[in-house]
Amino acid sequence: MEKLLEVKDLQVSFQTYGGEVQAVRGVSFHLNKGETLAIVGESGSGKSVTSQTIMRLIPTPPGKIKSGQIIFNGEDLAKKTDKEMEAIRGKDIGMIFQDPMTSLNPTMKVGHQIMEVLVKHLKMDKAAAKERAIELLRLVGIPMPEKRVNQYPHEFSGGMRQRAMIAVALASNPKLLIADEPTTALDVTIQAQILELMKDLQKKMGTSIIFITHDLGVVANVADRVAVMYAGKIVEMGTVDEIFYDPRHPYTWGLLASMPSLDSDDKSELAAIPGTPPDLTNPPKGDAFAPRNPYAMKIDFELEPPMFKISDTHYAATWLLHPDAPKVEPPEAVKKRLRQLSSNYPQPVIVKESE
Amino acid sequence: MAEKQKLIEIKNLKQYFPVGHGQVIKAVDGVTFDIYKGETLGLVGESGCGKSTTGRTIIGLYQATSGEVLFNGVSVHAKKTSQELKQLKRKMQMIFQDPYASLNPRMTVADIIAEGIDIHGLAKTQEERMKRVYELLETVGLNREHANRYPHEFSGGQRQRIGIARALAVEPEFIIADEPISALDVSIQAQVVNLMKKLQREKGLTYLFIAHDLSMVKYISDRIGVMYFGKMVELAEAEELYRNPIHPYTKALLSAIPLPDPETERVRRRTVYDPSQHNYKEGEPLEFREITPGHFVLCSEEEYKKYKAIYS
Repeated sequence: MEKLLEVKDLQVSFQTYGGEVQAVRGVSFHLNKGETLAIVGESGSGKSVTSQTIMRLIPTPPGKIKSGQIIFNGEDLAKKTDKEMEAIRGKDIGMIFQDPMTSLNPTMKVGHQIMEVLVKHLKMDKAAAKERAIELLRLVGIPMPEKRVNQYPHEFSGGMRQRAMIAVALASNPKLLIADEPTTALDVTIQAQILELMKDLQKKMGTSIIFITHDLGVVANVADRVAVMYAGKIVEMGTVDEIFYDPRHPYTWGLLASMPSLDSDDKSELAAIPGTPPDLTNPPKGDAFAPRNPYAMKIDFELEPPMFKISDTHYAATWLLHPDAPKVEPPEAVKKRLRQLSSNYPQPVIVKESE
Repeated sequence: MAEKQKLIEIKNLKQYFPVGHGQVIKAVDGVTFDIYKGETLGLVGESGCGKSTTGRTIIGLYQATSGEVLFNGVSVHAKKTSQELKQLKRKMQMIFQDPYASLNPRMTVADIIAEGIDIHGLAKTQEERMKRVYELLETVGLNREHANRYPHEFSGGQRQRIGIARALAVEPEFIIADEPISALDVSIQAQVVNLMKKLQREKGLTYLFIAHDLSMVKYISDRIGVMYFGKMVELAEAEELYRNPIHPYTKALLSAIPLPDPETERVRRRTVYDPSQHNYKEGEPLEFREITPGHFVLCSEEEYKKYKAIYS
C-alpha cells in the first residue's frame, strides 16, 4: 500500500511559565492512501497537538517542533515556511474541528466560506465556485442547498454546521482529512449521520482520514487502524481488530475495561484507571503510565519500555511483552474480548531504534 | 413495585418559556413519573428534548408552568415560609455538568463545601465545620490538604468530586446529577460513576441521572426514561428498555449508538425515527400506558392494543 503520510520521531514542546511542556514525545506512525487512522487518548495525551503539528497550526512561540519529520507526499512539512504551508493547508490537507460554531466564521455566509477555498486554491471564478459550493452542500446532505448557500452559520443547527464544515474541508478534494473530535459535541443520532457521511465520502474520493476521538465506539465504527496515545507517546498501534480483540498494553486494557458494555447486564464496579495523567513539564522516569498501572513492575519505574512488534501491523510499548516478564491476566472485561489472531508472530519482537 | 416508597412524584409537569411575539417554547410538555427511594432514575434524550429543564424544574430552579412535583408528599412549587423552603432545599441537591463553571473560582474548596453547612447551621463551632469538610473530602477521594486550595488548582475529575462533596455536605436524600460526567475523560468518568454508586450504597441516596451517554446511563440506572421534544416517550427498567425497546424513537436512539466492537459495527443497521410514522389522527389523544409491568410507552389507543399484542 502506498504511504501518504509518514511521521517520524516527532517531538513538540511548549514554553510556559511553569517550564517546558513536552506535549508530544517522539511519535512515529504512517497513514496509507484511502485509510482511516484513529488516534485515541485522554485530554493532554498529545493527540490534538500531533494533528495540529501536521497542519502546522501550532503557534510558534510558545510551541516548537523540537525534532522529527512529517513526510507528506514526499515533502517534509516540518521544514516548510508559513507561506509554503498556506498553499498546502486547506488544499491538500483539510481539517474538521470539534466545535462547528467557533470554527465557522459567524459573519460570513456559509457559501462564501466554501467558495473561499475554491477561489484561493483551485483558482475558480466566483460563479463556478458558487455552483461547486451548492454541489458540495448537496453532497454532504444539506437539503435545499441553493437557499442554504446564502445563509449564515447561526441559521444552521449543530449537525448542519458540522456538515458545512465538512463541505469546507472537502472543497479542494484534499488527500488528507484530519478530523479532531468531529462528533463529540453532537447527539448520537446526528453523530451516526456524520460518521456515515464521512465514510461514504471517503469511498467516493479516496481521502485518507486521521480521526481523533476518545469514544471507543466511534473508533470501532470508523477506523482501519488505531493508535493509542498516552502522555505524548503512542503506546499501542494496530489494526482495529488487533486493538479491540488482542490488546497488549495495560493502558489500552484500562480504556476498554473502564467502559460499561451495553449488551451485558453486569452491574459490578467499573474498572476505573486510578489517578490522573502525568504532568508533562516533568515527565516521569521510565514508563509514564507506571504510577497508574496495576501491572507495573520495578523496571517500569526505571527504564522506558521499547516498542514490541506483535504482528506486521501491531505494536505495543510495554515491558510485559518482554520474554523475561511474568505472565499476567488482563482485566475480566478485556479477557472476554480476547481472540487468537493468526497474523501474530510466535513471540513479540523488540523493534530496533532505526526502524 | 408496590412496596417501594415514592420519594418524588411528578404529575403532568409543564415548563413553557415565552420567547416573545406571543410564542412559547414547550420545553417540558406534560411529563408524569415517580422516583422511588434509593433508586437511580436515568433520563436520556437528545439536546433540546427537555431533560435538563425537567431536572431544574423538579428542584425548583424554575417555577413550573403547570403540574405538580411532590417531594415526600410536599409540593416543591407551592408557597412556603422561608423556613420550609430551606428545609426542602437541604433535602435536594444538584451536581452540574461543567465542573469548571459551577465552582466559584474565588472561594477555597473548604468554603465551597461548607457553604451549605453554614447556611443551614449544621456546624456549631469552627472545628466542627472543618471536621465535616475533611470528612467530606475523604468521602469523595480527595484529602484534607486540598481544603485550602482554589478550584483552578484541580483537574476536571477532581473538581467534579468537589461538586459532589458540596452536594453531600447538607446530607440530602435526593441528588439531581445533570450530565455529571460528560465533560470528563473516559478513564476519569468511571472513577466518578463508581464514587456515585458507592455513596448511594452507603447513604441510601436517590439519584436522577441526566445524560446523553446511553451506555453509562444503562450502567448506573435502575430505571430509564426516554424524552423526546418535551414528552416522555418510554419508561422502563434499564435492562428491559435496552432489551425490548417499544417506542420507535427509543429503537432509533439505541440503534445509533456505536459499540466498541468492530465486528458488530460492520453489520450494525441504524433505524431512523420519523414522527409521522405513527399516523396519528388529528387530535388523537396520546397517553403514557403500561404495556408490560413497569414498562410505560407514550402511545395512542390503537398502538396500545398493537403493543400489548406483541409484547405480552
